[in-house]
Amino acid sequence: MSEMLKTSGLTKNFGGLTAVNNVNFSIEEGDLQSIIGPNGAGKSTFFKLISGEIKPSSGQIVFNGNDITGLAQTQVSHRGIAVAYQITNIFPLLTVLENVRVAAQSRKTTFNFWSKAESHHEITDQALAILEEIGLVEFKEDIAGNLSHGDQKRLEIGIALATQPELLLLDEPTAGLSPTETRYTIELIKKISDHLTIILVEHKMTVVMEVSDKITVLHYGSLLAQGSPDDIRNNEEVRRVYLGGVKV
Amino acid sequence: MQTQQAEVGAGAPGGAWDRVVDLVSRYPVTVITIFFIIFPFVVPYKALATQIIIWGLFALGYNVCLGYTGMLSFGHAAYFGVGAYTLGIVLIRLWENLWFGLACATFMGAFTALILGFMCIKRKGIYFALLTLAFAQLLYFLAFQWVDLTGGDNGLRHIPAVPLPLPGFTVDIQDPLRFYFLVLFFVVLALMLLQRVLQSPFGRVLEAVRENDPRARSCGYETTNVRWMAFIISGAISGLAGGLYALYLHFVGIETLYWVTSGQILMITLLGGMGSFIGPFIGAGVFLFLEDVLSAITDNWMIFLGTIFILCVLFFPEGIWGSVMKLVNRSAGKKG
Repeated sequence: MSEMLKTSGLTKNFGGLTAVNNVNFSIEEGDLQSIIGPNGAGKSTFFKLISGEIKPSSGQIVFNGNDITGLAQTQVSHRGIAVAYQITNIFPLLTVLENVRVAAQSRKTTFNFWSKAESHHEITDQALAILEEIGLVEFKEDIAGNLSHGDQKRLEIGIALATQPELLLLDEPTAGLSPTETRYTIELIKKISDHLTIILVEHKMTVVMEVSDKITVLHYGSLLAQGSPDDIRNNEEVRRVYLGGVKV
Repeated sequence: MQTQQAEVGAGAPGGAWDRVVDLVSRYPVTVITIFFIIFPFVVPYKALATQIIIWGLFALGYNVCLGYTGMLSFGHAAYFGVGAYTLGIVLIRLWENLWFGLACATFMGAFTALILGFMCIKRKGIYFALLTLAFAQLLYFLAFQWVDLTGGDNGLRHIPAVPLPLPGFTVDIQDPLRFYFLVLFFVVLALMLLQRVLQSPFGRVLEAVRENDPRARSCGYETTNVRWMAFIISGAISGLAGGLYALYLHFVGIETLYWVTSGQILMITLLGGMGSFIGPFIGAGVFLFLEDVLSAITDNWMIFLGTIFILCVLFFPEGIWGSVMKLVNRSAGKKG
């Protein structure tokens, strides 16, 4: 297995606040790695740096052997990194199918004025396959904004998947979900991690422990610990700052 | 007229009006075409009908910006005005050919939108609106000063009354009804092209950008370029409408480029309802009809029109057509 993403000395300052501080992180192709840490540890900022939404103050991001530091979000997307956001970020007035279809279309064409969008069967078929995978195919004609919170979060993942990424960044995919919905999402994550490299930010430790190959702990923007779920579970320092001494 | 129909719709849910709305939503171009073929025979005079479809076309172009892409432009007088002046200048100085004049008007509308759009499009919301306004006013003062080319304050006069050249023969279009149908031809053409574009992959991206620009960007779309392209299409249609307006009046007034024109097209579009084909035409119809009626009664017709507009925005924020749709949907919902 080869290294897919590597950050070295990645730092982001917001004025006097260092949100991400000198983080050296790497993930192997095919792995599912989780990032955990208390609120404000810099997890979301770390994601935004990788996806190109914000530019780092210093440090480097290498993806598949290419330096992608400072590339715009659109370019990062075309390199093969997709994000499923924490705060549901869908196209609310479009249908469920169209949400995924338009994301899939981004790989093929933008300035095509003449053909009918529906005539591109391969894009529609791909979108339908993703809806099948995320379990929303029966709602395909519904307006996305009318879906339940849990379904919208799955659609969020579907939109990210539709851009055919190699690396998927999942930002708290189970936030606000019921136990049943959480269960469903865990199974979905397990399923897609078969063919995708995933970085997961998540607060629910049960989820993290179940799906992760490796866990990284951030604390005040710095890397505190890294290791297998068992290592992290038994790490004294991690327990003290994050797990609060709770046995998980 | 429209409000009356809305009341009928509310009073008789599930009636014929439901079917009309359904039909218009499904086949907008066909319905609008048929309606406007009958239209000149039911309005008080043909010139009003012509004005309504020209402004409707302008509003259709404006709606590409506002309704379909979510950009509030306050400078569309620029593209309408440039189209009008282009047609006049081309017919006076270059070639007395109707097709060529209108093609130039459309092209210059698009070209102006390309240039001004490039400078405005990276800003959003109020900054975008103010930049478009500022550039449009710049063009107004340019036209004002460049008397040799534009006639300045007096406007561009003596635009020749050209016939319509068709293969093998020419048609005189000075008759109001013939001229109306010439304009209608371009309106239908624009509608068909626009419908095609909105159903294309690009049209879908446009929707996505309107719905959620940051998300579209994170999906890998260069949303700035997408909005720019929509702006250019909008400019082209506005330019065509401007050209037709000049052809209709044989004259281009300097106020065509003035910010009041930009305000008027915004009012028309909001009045009719954004994001549909028929909304802009309803808006243009209601606006010009009221202007016609009120200005015959009083010199201060603007006060009454303004009041009606304010009431509309307060109570029917979706515009006339949007409100009709909502009423019909609600009654359909009650039924089902």
